[in-house]
Amino acid sequence: MPIVEPSLVEVQRTERLDLEGIDVSGDWNTFLRSRVAVDLDVKILDWVKGHPQGDTISRCWQCGTCTAGCCMHTDYGLQEFNPRYFIYLAQIGYEEELRRYADTVWRCVSCNKCVERCPKGVKVEEVVHTIGSYLIASGLAPESPADRFDRAYTENLLRHGILDEADLFRTYERLEGRKTPARQILRMGLTLLRSGRLHTGPFAHRARRWAQMRSVLRAQLARDARCPAPTGAADRTVAAEGGGVR
Amino acid sequence: MSAAASSRSAPDATPAYYPGCSLDGLGKAYEVSSQQVLRHLGLSLERIVDYNCCGATEVKNLSQDVSLALPARNLALARSMGRSQVVAACNGCVYSLARANDSVRETATRDRINSLLARGGAPSYDGAASVQHVLEFIYQRAGPGRVRSAVRRPLAGLVIAPYYGCLYTRPKRYTGVGTTPGTDDPEHPHFLDELLVACGAKVVTDYSAKTICCGGGHALSDLEVSVAFSASVLNEARRAGADLVATICPLGQINIENHLDRIRSSYGDEVVRPVAYFTQLMSLAFGSSLREARLSDNFSRPDLFLRSRGFA
Repeated sequence: MPIVEPSLVEVQRTERLDLEGIDVSGDWNTFLRSRVAVDLDVKILDWVKGHPQGDTISRCWQCGTCTAGCCMHTDYGLQEFNPRYFIYLAQIGYEEELRRYADTVWRCVSCNKCVERCPKGVKVEEVVHTIGSYLIASGLAPESPADRFDRAYTENLLRHGILDEADLFRTYERLEGRKTPARQILRMGLTLLRSGRLHTGPFAHRARRWAQMRSVLRAQLARDARCPAPTGAADRTVAAEGGGVR
Repeated sequence: MSAAASSRSAPDATPAYYPGCSLDGLGKAYEVSSQQVLRHLGLSLERIVDYNCCGATEVKNLSQDVSLALPARNLALARSMGRSQVVAACNGCVYSLARANDSVRETATRDRINSLLARGGAPSYDGAASVQHVLEFIYQRAGPGRVRSAVRRPLAGLVIAPYYGCLYTRPKRYTGVGTTPGTDDPEHPHFLDELLVACGAKVVTDYSAKTICCGGGHALSDLEVSVAFSASVLNEARRAGADLVATICPLGQINIENHLDRIRSSYGDEVVRPVAYFTQLMSLAFGSSLREARLSDNFSRPDLFLRSRGFA
């Protein structure tokens, strides 16, 4: 990865330059390809800090305890899933590098070992999800399968107050264009039916006195979904051509 | 001292019971067997009748306030039943109820959540209900001693891997586990080990998958990961020499069982072990039949295995 600090050496164009009688005019410093990123932006940190689940980010002192125990990093072995690094990039505002992880950040499984172990009380799992939200809000990451699932789950839950598990399964499969083999569905359905567990559609469980709560929570959900996009975030670039190489 | 710790000082004779969506749905066997175990041990819980789902770890990614209001409504209902203790059987429920508790300690947040509850026609929440996993409840109220004396048919000859999963203790800042007297060890939990041993089973102690995540949060959205983690839960049990996995979380149970075909085809038949709720196994030890403990509900069919070991 490039050095993250302002560049001291710039390309210089000289019309006329004599050095001890020798004409050395021309373009200077062009052979020094900058390895330095200059356009860091604290707006990312401000955005994450301003989010109700991101405020603990400023306690992080980069010890890496979260990543050392992270099941995605160590057990599953996805080396680029590195919560300490995601936090670091958000802290210094290095968006160009952060966006390289657009398809990685969402894969946190929320096991909360990082939150458990953080010696500084950072809610790492929530901060990482907030960084994921930043990437989506600023148009740097597409909506992930997990985001689609969260939405399907929440809509399903708010409908009756109690989750309709079979319906969630069907809805989500449709969203992803996936099809579980009919044989498997049938086998599961029969087992559920036989044991009196097929509570779906008209037979779904419903929370009592839910209608009013539903409309209040749906309104709140809609308000929070209009989470402001960071201003100009997507236009910012990093000066270094080699930027983003780790 | 955390709110969880301070409010645990006055235990209810009959705490409120929060079933959550799983115990009334796919995890019915867990619900039925829990009630059997509690009855045998002379313990009782009173169901929160108007409960709603807790939102697990999903809703919070869309809205902080909705993710707090959902569990807070249940805690408020428990308070209006006059209870200061809420017992839940699902790790996900324990997590989100305890998380709401932690958040509403801030006055501004509590006011905001209570305003949502009021507009939705629910009682307001004072933040004074503590949350407990049913495993911890059984351990604290009855303990291995009373469990031992309730055993009618010891689980002799069974070697069990105790699978706690991720959110039973974690994170302690929400659950209070490890920082509240009488609670389990957050890194090396042992309550389940002890209860199963008290039922006469042999428990594998070097089970490295004890507290790993099953990937259940991404059970559908990240198959690769959740299948791999579920397979680990079973494979580590195999390596430790266990013939059965005991779970304390319906998300884990259902996630692992939902992936059985995929695990078989990717990792081989020999990895697979039957998986059962710990209360099903305890109920069996207390004299219930395989049918009464609903052991044929589970897709991994622990009933077939247990029958081959002489249980009826």
